[in-house]
Amino acid sequence: MAAVREYAVIDPVTGKLDRRIFSDQAVYDDELERIFGRAWLMIGHESLVPAADDFFHTYMGEDPVILTRDGAGRLHALLNMCRHRGNRVCRADDGNAKRFMCSYHGWTYRNDGALDHVPGESEAYYGALDKSALGLVEARVETYAGIVFATWDRNAPDLDAYLGDARWYLDTVFNRRDCGMQALGPMKWLEPVNWKTLVDNCSDNYHVPTSHLSSALVQMRWLGRPRLSHEDQFASPHRHAFVNGHSLTFRDADDGMPRYVHGISKETARLFEEYHRATLPEVERRLGALRARRIQLANHSIFPNGILGLRLALPRGPRKTEFWHFVLVERDMPEELQRAIRIGSQANNGAAGMFEQDDVDNWRQVTEASVSRRARRLPQDLSMGLGHAGPHPDYPGLVSERYISENNQRLFYQRWEEFMNAPDWARIPLAPMTARFDGTATMRG
Amino acid sequence: MNGVAPSRRISAVSPPAAGAQGEDGPLALTAQQALWLELNQFYIREAWLLDERKLKQWLDLFTDDVLYFMPRRKNVPRRELHRELTPLGDLAILEEDKRYLEMRVARLETGMAWAEDPPSRTRHLIGNLEARRLEDGEVEARTAFLVYRSHLETDHQLLSGCREDRLRKVDGAWKVRRRMIVLDANVLLDKNLSVFL
Ligand code: FES
Ligand SMILES: [Fe+2]
Repeated sequence: MAAVREYAVIDPVTGKLDRRIFSDQAVYDDELERIFGRAWLMIGHESLVPAADDFFHTYMGEDPVILTRDGAGRLHALLNMCRHRGNRVCRADDGNAKRFMCSYHGWTYRNDGALDHVPGESEAYYGALDKSALGLVEARVETYAGIVFATWDRNAPDLDAYLGDARWYLDTVFNRRDCGMQALGPMKWLEPVNWKTLVDNCSDNYHVPTSHLSSALVQMRWLGRPRLSHEDQFASPHRHAFVNGHSLTFRDADDGMPRYVHGISKETARLFEEYHRATLPEVERRLGALRARRIQLANHSIFPNGILGLRLALPRGPRKTEFWHFVLVERDMPEELQRAIRIGSQANNGAAGMFEQDDVDNWRQVTEASVSRRARRLPQDLSMGLGHAGPHPDYPGLVSERYISENNQRLFYQRWEEFMNAPDWARIPLAPMTARFDGTATMRG
Repeated sequence: MNGVAPSRRISAVSPPAAGAQGEDGPLALTAQQALWLELNQFYIREAWLLDERKLKQWLDLFTDDVLYFMPRRKNVPRRELHRELTPLGDLAILEEDKRYLEMRVARLETGMAWAEDPPSRTRHLIGNLEARRLEDGEVEARTAFLVYRSHLETDHQLLSGCREDRLRKVDGAWKVRRRMIVLDANVLLDKNLSVFL
């Protein structure tokens, strides 16, 4: 076996990033092993498989996986690969099935993965086949507030430790209500970009006034959307924090305003504010006063490929990424608000989204610049805000002084190096959990 | 220029009297045929407006209460085909009203809608028209389309699908008041969907 290659791609002193990590096949292959092969990966949501025997087809990296709920209500993440020759045993996007029959020779698996039936078990195999060793390969599954994560690595830490203090921020969106959230989607499309460009972008608020000004301007006029300019951003009370590879931007302002989401317009603003006020006591009980009243998670990514909530950047080769867009709504939220969020989300963040469509060519050209001979030798410059981040008395994680900073990007690529260089999970550092999780909300919701 | 120019001898506007089919000779059109010609012309004109980027005029082809809807299309077993298209109320690709369509068009005019600046080169081919007059005076029309998009240097995509429209006459002109666009795709193979269908 070749020695583990040392990846040193980001210079933490200068912020220069080796851009070949966006295009090289060998790097990509290592990523699938060392990152997607062992990290906790977001794969879906419990609400996509609400009933016994429901299933939802998803991916862990490039590996097709069936997320099932068995007859006893337990979740399983099963590699969609028949143990005979390797055909897929499920071709539907979702549904309800107690069993999955392989369409090649008919081996049939239960939805907990066990191999149940083999045609000719006694006649053709002379009873010598050890069915118990030939179930569908199962990943470890854990959930956070209904979001389902899975990992192939038995030695991975618990999801709780993996998310660590990032949950302190994530709770302010995903863990607010007793009723939990409902996932809708996904909308899927293939982008000619490296998967990391999407993740990197989650903390890149710097691009927003340039990349998305056309959408912001028309929505300001038609919908009463807030103004968007560099000046507003530089004066913004938003900040960045970074924990264990997870990039978080958040707002700290005690002004009684609901978190801004696509879908808030001059018509719906009052309803969103009323909902915010009406649910505040419950949120305060669940998250404590500080997080309920002041902290609002904004753009964020969950390492490695969860972006802006339950949305996935699925690697499909060094220069291809399948983007899965879901939207999450609180189950008890009034119908009208759910509708506003759904429409705002798809109109802005889907394949045809007004915001999203303007991102792709940028990411694509960043990816392509890592291919052509002269360009690929020139590093990316991620020097913004160097030396202006550190621990903060009020906020967990490594916190940048300003909203507009490349601190999270630098740390993301350092986390990437930690995964790429570590021989096993024991060598991947985890930040100790120091945040105070006031309130009753837990990992389970 | 008209896409379809009916010959002067054909009475394309006045429907023949009931039971008159065939009696006026081979050139008489049934009401159904006249409707078909009229709508065919409508769709051809719409295609030219889109391909010639006359999007403000294109917007005029829709009523103010239009629903412009593109559901997702799932892989489901044949016996569960009723689940193939996501219903209204689920996450869609598009579920827009006139205001959103106007915003999309206005966006392009800012000069900073990067997905379409420089703009795509498109060709909308619309065919397989079937139309049916409904009792309330509206018309149900469905068409198939192939839309080719070329963007920047070598990016290109072929979008295939169908439209199911409800049209209504407003001041003597047909307008779409509901359009459902069904793409023949599960995972869209395209970097984004920035052209109108
Ligand atoms: S490959 Fe599945 S039964 Fe043979
Ligand atoms: Fe963006």
